[in-house]
Amino acid sequence: MASLHDIPDDGSRAGRPVAPRSINYKRRGEIFRWLHRGVIFAGSLAIMLVVLMPVAWLVSSSLQTEAEIVSVPPHWIPDEPTLRNFKAIFAADEGPVSYETRNRQDPASGSFIPSTAKNLLPAMFNSFAVATLVVVLNLLVGLPAAYAMAKIRFWGRTGSVYFILATRVIPDIALVVPFFLVIRNLGLLDSILSLVVTYLAITVPFTVFILIQYFESLPDELDKAARVDGCSRLQTLTHVYLPLSLPSIVAVILFAFLTSWNEFLLALMFTQTVSSQTLPIVLASFTSDFTISFSFINAAGLLAIVPPVIIAIVFERYIVSGLTAGAVKG
Amino acid sequence: MSNTAGGIGAKVMRRFTYDDRTALVFIAPVMAVLALVAVFPIGYSFYISLFQIKLTRPNRTPFVWLDNYIQLFGDDLFWTAVLRTVTFTVMSVTAITVLALLAALLLNEKFPGRRLVSTILLVPWAIPYVADALMWKWIYDSGYGALNGLLYQLGFIDKYVVWLGDQQKTLPLIANAFVWKEVPLATILLLVSLKSIPQDLYNAARVDGAPLLQRFLHVTLPSMRTGFMLVILYETMIAIRHFDLFFVLTEGGPGTASHVLSWEIYIETFRNLSFGSGAAMSYVLALVTFALAYFVIKILGRSV
Repeated sequence: MASLHDIPDDGSRAGRPVAPRSINYKRRGEIFRWLHRGVIFAGSLAIMLVVLMPVAWLVSSSLQTEAEIVSVPPHWIPDEPTLRNFKAIFAADEGPVSYETRNRQDPASGSFIPSTAKNLLPAMFNSFAVATLVVVLNLLVGLPAAYAMAKIRFWGRTGSVYFILATRVIPDIALVVPFFLVIRNLGLLDSILSLVVTYLAITVPFTVFILIQYFESLPDELDKAARVDGCSRLQTLTHVYLPLSLPSIVAVILFAFLTSWNEFLLALMFTQTVSSQTLPIVLASFTSDFTISFSFINAAGLLAIVPPVIIAIVFERYIVSGLTAGAVKG
Repeated sequence: MSNTAGGIGAKVMRRFTYDDRTALVFIAPVMAVLALVAVFPIGYSFYISLFQIKLTRPNRTPFVWLDNYIQLFGDDLFWTAVLRTVTFTVMSVTAITVLALLAALLLNEKFPGRRLVSTILLVPWAIPYVADALMWKWIYDSGYGALNGLLYQLGFIDKYVVWLGDQQKTLPLIANAFVWKEVPLATILLLVSLKSIPQDLYNAARVDGAPLLQRFLHVTLPSMRTGFMLVILYETMIAIRHFDLFFVLTEGGPGTASHVLSWEIYIETFRNLSFGSGAAMSYVLALVTFALAYFVIKILGRSV
């Protein structure tokens, strides 16, 4: 290495006409470029493997029969892939599971698909309903507020922005006890309404913050022009800014939806039966039951993973720009 | 000058411009919602923490001033839980920051397939924590899990090992599942920071003859200071209150090896049904979060 430093840097780099002495640089550049490519390839491969291998194992496990899933060492790729777990989830209830019938699905072993498998679809529906309501409410209260804080110079503007920032960091676990007591007194336990209301606390501050950032990046002249043309503030928002801020609105929809879809702690406290349980709750109830086949648990897990992963892949651009805006302004 | 209430009201209204009033109407819904679901519960939580509320004795809820806090601070179990939370947090946040820096440096380069890698990296961010937990629980499984299978087939172990059930290994393994899911977000935050470094700085360093490592140490890292601060503070806030993984992976076990603060709060509140002391504990956690958040807000506030 020391010899490389001995060569005085004469400012010549790749692409420039160089003196004969600089052939060294050319070779160094070549070596460096290959090294660079190698590091990038290795890094990319490492990321892909670390991310995809656990997920691939989940998918593979969900397709295995009971005999395969308990093999030692594990079958990385199932010999006889089966859809029995997914059939149990999606097919209509096939009668009560009793001691006599519980092994019927896979006579080769003592596999157990729980009778609660039929709760997965209603739970998915609950998750979807809660998430959708949370998204709609977020947009309804978030859009006007963000517009006002970004574009109207009003008394108390800075104060309200800091207020939003402060509410964004309230830990959910500190809300659990007071929420529980209030919701119990209101008789809203075991209702998806209690989830919709409490999820607002963890989504609205982020929504407003992202929208403020986006509105601020749009020129003030639009605002002035619309106002001169006789638009009211509300019309300026709906006719001028809304169409322009679609990317950030998409990001907000995605974040509010995914946060609600994934939330666990509050749902654990406020839901009790199938009528309000969301997908993470039903999933977690499987994992603590040792009689349930792991291949079934993996199939249920796959069900919970597929919608958010599809969303993340399809809307990658919006998500990254939203997270970026929500964190730091470049 | 009119002294009637209406007159004063009108005068006050005139001091507010049309813009002031519109803005008030626009922000009123958000303020109302947040007052109801965020500010009120936080205040109410402190109020509850001053009482001895046991749901097993619903009719006797004496006001006990700060007794819940005093008892808490004198309780060895509480401090052990704090220590475990700190251990988990330090392990996780260190790993997250280092790995995210590496991933961000990679994604800052231009190469074919960059989009694919960054999209794939977003997958852990998107999936629910409960699914993350059940996936790793199955990987760590001592009887049939993939980790044992892989290490066995590669010859690193000659018989299957107990993973989550081993008190020494529990916290690092839970931290691993946590890091897996948190690195993507941290990477995006650091990437923003990396991209905002002015190219001039690199050019200047190059003209000065600074080699790659020097440029990294003296240009890249110092310029990312804000980004690092943000990632470390933000991830610390998430880690000290994390609950989901502990619930699914170990339920605080084996023994009390993963009794972190959030698990302690859950047990105290919903198994012991002692709401007063549970609220006190969660309030302590909230205060720590707020202290961290103060710095985050100062960083974020700069961009408003």
